[in-house]
Amino acid sequence: MWSGGAAIFVLVSCVFCASALADGLVNEDVKRTLDLSSHLAKITAEIQLANHGAARVNSLTLALEAELAPHLAFIGASVKGEEEEDEGLELKETTLHGQSGKFFEAQLPSSLAPGAKLRVKVETVFSHVLKPFPSHITQAEQQLVVFQGNHYLYSPYPTRSQTTRVRLASKTVESYTKLGNPTKSEESIEYGPFKDVPPFSQDDMKIHYENNTPFLTISSITRTIEVSHWGNIAVEETIDLRHTGAYLKGPFSRYDYQRQSDSGISSVKSFKTILPASAQDVYYRDEIGNISTSHLQVLDDSVEVEIRPRFPLFGGWKTHYIIGYNLPSYEYLYNLGDQYALKMRLVDHIYDDQVIDQLTVKLILPEGARNIHVDTPYPISRSQDELHYTYLDTFGRPVLVATKNNLVEQHIQDVVVHYNFNKILMLQEPLLVVGAFYILFFTVIIYVRLDFSITKDPAAEVRMKVASITEQVLTLVNKRLGLYRHMDEVVNRYKQSRDTGALNSGRKTLEAEHRTLTNDITALQTRLKAEGSDLAEKVGEIQKLDRLEGQGHFPLATSLTFCFPGQLFSATRLLIGNLDSLLSSVETKGLFLLTSPDTSKHLSISSLHTLSLLILSTFSILHFSINYLPSTCQSGT
Amino acid sequence: MAEHHTASDCKHKASSNAGGSVSGNGRHSSPAGCGGSGGGLSGGLTQPAGWQSLLSFTILFLAWLAGFSSRLFAVIRFESIIHEFDPWFNYRSTHHLSTNGFYEFLNWFDERAWYPLGRIVGGTVYPGLMVTAGLIHYILNLLHVTVHIRDVCVFLAPVFSGLTAVSTFLLTRELWNQGAGLLAACFIAIVPGYISRSVAGSFDNEGIAIFALQFTYYLWVKSVKTGSVFWTIGCCLSYFYMVSAWGGYVFIINLIPLHVFVLLLMQRFSRRLYIAYSTFYIVGLVLSMQIPFVGFQPIRTSEHMAAAGVFALLQAYAFLQYLKDRLTRQEFQTLFFLGVSLAAGVVFLTVIYLTYTGEYAKIHIPIIASVSEHQPTTWVSFFFDLHILVCTFPAGLWFCIKNINDERVFVALYAISAVYFAGVMVRLMLTLTPVVCMLSAIAFSSVFEHYLGDDMKRENPPAEDSSDEDDKRNQGNLYDKAGKVRKHVSEQDRPEEGLGPNIKSIVTMLMLMLLMMFAVHCTWVTSNAYSSPSVVLASYNHDGSRNILDDFREAYYWLRQNTDEHARVMSWWDYGYQIAGMANRTTLVDNNTWNNSHIALVGKAMSSNESAAYEIMKSLDVDYVLIIFGGVIGYSGDDINKFLWMVRIAEGEHPKDIRESDYFTPQGEFRVDKAGSPTLLNCLMYKMSYYRFGEMQLDFRTPPGFDRTRNAEIGNKDIRLKHLEEAFTSEHWLVRIYRVKKQENRQALDHKLRNIAAKQKYTSKKVLPSRFH
Repeated sequence: MWSGGAAIFVLVSCVFCASALADGLVNEDVKRTLDLSSHLAKITAEIQLANHGAARVNSLTLALEAELAPHLAFIGASVKGEEEEDEGLELKETTLHGQSGKFFEAQLPSSLAPGAKLRVKVETVFSHVLKPFPSHITQAEQQLVVFQGNHYLYSPYPTRSQTTRVRLASKTVESYTKLGNPTKSEESIEYGPFKDVPPFSQDDMKIHYENNTPFLTISSITRTIEVSHWGNIAVEETIDLRHTGAYLKGPFSRYDYQRQSDSGISSVKSFKTILPASAQDVYYRDEIGNISTSHLQVLDDSVEVEIRPRFPLFGGWKTHYIIGYNLPSYEYLYNLGDQYALKMRLVDHIYDDQVIDQLTVKLILPEGARNIHVDTPYPISRSQDELHYTYLDTFGRPVLVATKNNLVEQHIQDVVVHYNFNKILMLQEPLLVVGAFYILFFTVIIYVRLDFSITKDPAAEVRMKVASITEQVLTLVNKRLGLYRHMDEVVNRYKQSRDTGALNSGRKTLEAEHRTLTNDITALQTRLKAEGSDLAEKVGEIQKLDRLEGQGHFPLATSLTFCFPGQLFSATRLLIGNLDSLLSSVETKGLFLLTSPDTSKHLSISSLHTLSLLILSTFSILHFSINYLPSTCQSGT
Repeated sequence: MAEHHTASDCKHKASSNAGGSVSGNGRHSSPAGCGGSGGGLSGGLTQPAGWQSLLSFTILFLAWLAGFSSRLFAVIRFESIIHEFDPWFNYRSTHHLSTNGFYEFLNWFDERAWYPLGRIVGGTVYPGLMVTAGLIHYILNLLHVTVHIRDVCVFLAPVFSGLTAVSTFLLTRELWNQGAGLLAACFIAIVPGYISRSVAGSFDNEGIAIFALQFTYYLWVKSVKTGSVFWTIGCCLSYFYMVSAWGGYVFIINLIPLHVFVLLLMQRFSRRLYIAYSTFYIVGLVLSMQIPFVGFQPIRTSEHMAAAGVFALLQAYAFLQYLKDRLTRQEFQTLFFLGVSLAAGVVFLTVIYLTYTGEYAKIHIPIIASVSEHQPTTWVSFFFDLHILVCTFPAGLWFCIKNINDERVFVALYAISAVYFAGVMVRLMLTLTPVVCMLSAIAFSSVFEHYLGDDMKRENPPAEDSSDEDDKRNQGNLYDKAGKVRKHVSEQDRPEEGLGPNIKSIVTMLMLMLLMMFAVHCTWVTSNAYSSPSVVLASYNHDGSRNILDDFREAYYWLRQNTDEHARVMSWWDYGYQIAGMANRTTLVDNNTWNNSHIALVGKAMSSNESAAYEIMKSLDVDYVLIIFGGVIGYSGDDINKFLWMVRIAEGEHPKDIRESDYFTPQGEFRVDKAGSPTLLNCLMYKMSYYRFGEMQLDFRTPPGFDRTRNAEIGNKDIRLKHLEEAFTSEHWLVRIYRVKKQENRQALDHKLRNIAAKQKYTSKKVLPSRFH
């Protein structure tokens, strides 16, 4: 049990050393405020200090009771100047011989002359000092807590006069210590004034009152900040949350919880997390998926997430979740040449009056960051740096790991990380992708071009050779057909314009081209013959046919008789018919070409419909997605 | 026989025969179209191979993409989450595999299932799915692509659906031609019958097994066609993968022997067949026995005997063939052949009969029947899952039978057997779907071949070589002069000249319409019927906004966070996997319903009165009881609606204690209101479901305690629980969890006040004797 009083600290001015406290400073007037309205004990003391000693005083000592000291989350002192601005004091932990408790030494901005006075404001926050009593309650009961502290300011200096004001969470108070006839108004109790209190005096204060504020504690949080130089900073917090108030005893009845407003009054239904204003893509999930019970509100200066755990948190219940978001890096990342500085909050707001038992911060810097130097706003223990591998990493990104226990809202401060980074390294990842695709395509090219078969098949080779020659023949024949068609056009034009010159010149060029084509085909024909394929005969047939056609039509066109385009057309058809036969013969001889236009044509018929089918289905999917996507977007996280 | 072989060989290799008939037209239209479009397609002429492979690659890629994206409805609407029940187990074991390694997974004894029995997971599971997902996850992480194992699991089935499309394309190409193959790939990519089991999040064996099935069949057809050991070994490996993935491998190991057997009957025995089947049977057998869960089943159980029988028959037949070369007594041979084949046939048919009728009858116990996917298929669901394909696939089958060859025999058998099985069980619709897609694709392809390119026919009927049977004759004729061909074909084509361009375009338009409607139907069904995770429910308000009912996860997560790590949760077996997966707590029974008596015990506890149930729960060390109750929001799949199955299953094992008739009214109705039977109104399930529900008034039109699911005011509103207390109820009361109270401490009795002690004595009296017995 504890015998000490409320959290008190004392400032004492001391000329040379702490041991000469008695003849140094005096607390002329002390106003203490104990704020017990949440689950934290926030104790503020405004102290009027006077130097009654002979020498100037450069520093003062703040003291904490031994009972409260382990729960200290935050301590801060400031000097109240003439103007409204407060000046923060730097604190350093020290020890005092023969006295229990925890002591801090604060250097004064300017030394205090003898007889001079100074107003100092000391703020402390303690966590886990409000003990639920009874420790187990049913769903219908209210939560009562006990606070044990000190009536006086715990100080190494004598105090002339002091008052203590306690703010409570509700009107209901079971009991409170009645030193010096305190006055109790609505939600507060006033103690004092106490006159002439000697140094290090303690007197137990005990207040048992109703406090239904959420007793939420973050038992551990891991905050991961991943910096990308491509413009994004990803923040992810993995949070273990626990209700540290009075344990729930007996059943949890949903019916009562839904129907009666005061049922489970101390339980936590939801809370608000405030994210930076530029936070995007917020997600809120846990091991088994997205937690659908949350709302996101984008305000001018922040993004508010209303976080509702999957289930209401009663005393002793816990939950675990992950919240993450992206931030644009231009707001937090500064650079000068190769030197970079990242300025981010070491820990951010999770809920009002937050208590973090254990914090782990992981800062993932880009791959290749060197000369890393960290400036923390308050001492924090660094662990061994790690390496993190994610998309397209080769040698890993440096990870700074730091831990700290017992944090409160006052710890939401910026940390600055300086490092060097060579900008050329930005190209590494795109080049990696390009290289990978290059190798892939190259391998495919190599694979397709080379023959990896173990045995040689001469028949197949001949077949392939013949196939390629046949293909060439086909191309040429087709070209020739194109010429005929062209001729048709020329004749048609002639029929309209009756321009003999144009006709003749067109004819001449066409005839010349026709001749070369025919010659080429003949050359190929001989090659086919050389391969011993009877396809040569077929080609010969075509040639013969073509000669017939040519004789039939070119003179016809020239002699200006009616050139029947249809006739010419049918002639070309006939030729194609021959081509068909050519191909079929190729098939029958087992010289089938996988590459024959016939399959491609056939393919294109089926594929046309397949394509339409596909496009349709894709379209309908898109249609549905568009219908439903907005609703998913609305739900936010 | 040899002649026949070459002919058929020519047919399939080239996609030519059926293609040949059209290709006549096709070739014409190409140049014409080319000229018309100003040489746009001329590249296709100069390099048809490039165009063709590019086109098929593009279509397959698009099919993959369409298949993948149409399976993402649930992810878009909800989130990347594992669906339903079984996938949760698969996910949990994959998670175990990826965190603890392969050997640890094989040796995994899961003490969180089937308390107090536990489950040897490595030996009772088809590991293919987990290993596949684990391997992908491992490789991705090796490449520093930090994907969570959950996302690998969620997207595995959609990715594999693309592979299924590719293997269906390959198989159909072997059976018919490339065009039909592409159509089949597109069909299978979006057909609901397959999507139902492979949406994103449905991390189940079937997702990868259909790919393995199709690919095994492709390799089988390929090996029968080539007679090459290379393809057969590939087939065996694929079969091995299938065995490791799904119990449906039995389908393969029966269908392939059936194919061989029928080929023998059709006198289509060939060396290729002999090589293919002998290799497949031996290597496949050895490989399949490597899966711990399969073990020695392939040489012991009846469903594998057909394969062995056919293997023996094939050897005998081959031996006879060998003798045939040596001996001349042909009559003897035929007699011998007949005798052998008859005997083998009889054996084969009995085995088949035993397997599929006898065994179903044997295991026809309530627990099998209680599973909804084991119900016989209705006609509606055929149409629902396959739409127009169900009408067109007989046409495809007809085309195949009309132009029969070795592999088309296979597809015909595949179709017939799959139709039979799909009729037996809704679930086996899955094996029917691929073959329906293939055959429908063949039907559509043939129709398109017939009716497209009609302008060519009109302009130049002579060059047309008509229907398939005349293929050879035409080929002969084509050697002749063009003029001759013209005469011949125009003669033959006369009846077809009736098909004018109008009819052709109408038919084509109709076919296109059908395909469009098919695509729309598929998307609609996928979106509305198969894309619900069933772990997360959604309801829509009047203004179209959506409410998410996340009660399941709420309650499971509560269990995970706020109960003892070794707490034992009793629930109906449906929720076992989900509790294990999401709440990470020990369950008594789960979806791996291997122990009927254990399930019956849970069923008995649920259907007994509270004190009897308490005895059972005590003996089973139950800490929490979880039930699903839909009365508040009108969710019909809750435990009261399943309750009769619990009673039936409990009655099967404990006929003295539980009688189904007790739970009905004298009129034979199952009612929860005042008229319901008193046994029902006082059983544990009823009490837990409606505990404090009698006070709840949902709206002003209905009395308090009005059950929205069953539309009745409950009959027992004053429910008090003695041995249980409400531990948690989710927001919409969908999941209710009760804590089983521990027995009072005996020593404490002395110190308590007398009146309390007297009260306690009443309860402890019952307990006392049992302690000392």
